[in-house]
Amino acid sequence: MSMLRIRFAGLALIAAVFTLAGCAAPADKQAMTVAKTVVVTKKHPYAVGVAVRGGSETTSTSSSNIADADLKAAIEASIRETQVFREVVQGRNGQYELAVNVIQLSKPSFGFSFTVDMEAGWTVTRVSDNQIVFRKAIASTYTASASDAFVGATRLRLAVEGAAKANIAQGLAAIGGVDL
Amino acid sequence: MSLRRWSTAALFAVFAVFTSGCAVNRATATVDPGANLAAIKTIHVVHTAEDGRKINDLIAQRLTQMGYAASTGESKRVDVDANMTYVDRWMWDITMYMIELTVVLREPRTDFPLAQANSLHTSLTRLPPKDMVQEVTTNLFKDVKK
Repeated sequence: MSMLRIRFAGLALIAAVFTLAGCAAPADKQAMTVAKTVVVTKKHPYAVGVAVRGGSETTSTSSSNIADADLKAAIEASIRETQVFREVVQGRNGQYELAVNVIQLSKPSFGFSFTVDMEAGWTVTRVSDNQIVFRKAIASTYTASASDAFVGATRLRLAVEGAAKANIAQGLAAIGGVDL
Repeated sequence: MSLRRWSTAALFAVFAVFTSGCAVNRATATVDPGANLAAIKTIHVVHTAEDGRKINDLIAQRLTQMGYAASTGESKRVDVDANMTYVDRWMWDITMYMIELTVVLREPRTDFPLAQANSLHTSLTRLPPKDMVQEVTTNLFKDVKK
């Protein structure tokens, strides 16, 4: 077997490994959930329903994304952790509804460090009279470096999860800072 | 199977995986529950600093065509019903093409995002920038009754 053939086969194998290793994984809801340590000034004694849109599924042809259902679950779990609302309910069965609209999720294609920027519109509506009581654009960013993960797809997922977690932390802290 | 055939097969597989991403289309729009897009008559398109292709002019022209009083400039305005920001992403495949365009309609004073629309067309289904602009703006205002 000639050296040229060995190199050719080696390159093909490396290319295949890198391609398959690059398969994107969706952002994980547990990794996006914020802990009790997030400072929430006011704990509102109300039940809240959470609605999320603007996210997108991760497919075989896309990079790591945040699905609406996963972000919703992460926000609900974070509300329970931080206790910014007394209770999480489904639909509009609480006193308030929190709507989170993902506006932008900017992701790099290449690089050693991946920085992801996320922007979401956070709206809290009082269900009884449909009055908007809180509305804010929340921008967050997170950088995952090569020391966090060697494989690019994993590094990107970590950056996406980090940006989402930071967005949730900022959003809940802001809601916890207002009177409802 | 010989080494050469294995190598050819591996390369073909890699090529297939890569090219399977070449015909992705996506067009989405979301509107904040509290937003009333029907009340918007004047829109200012804010030129993105990184955009050297003047996509802001295309967007403003399209909005004018749709019946809005549209303007464009380098900074935001507060004397309009909404500002519009955008992000255009380009890729190279033989030639440069716009792979993705996202437009965001914002409340002028608070910058709150009222609505967003996004179009993604990969290489095989690429569209000229003017058509990408038309697609996102059509989707953004599709439920607005004038």
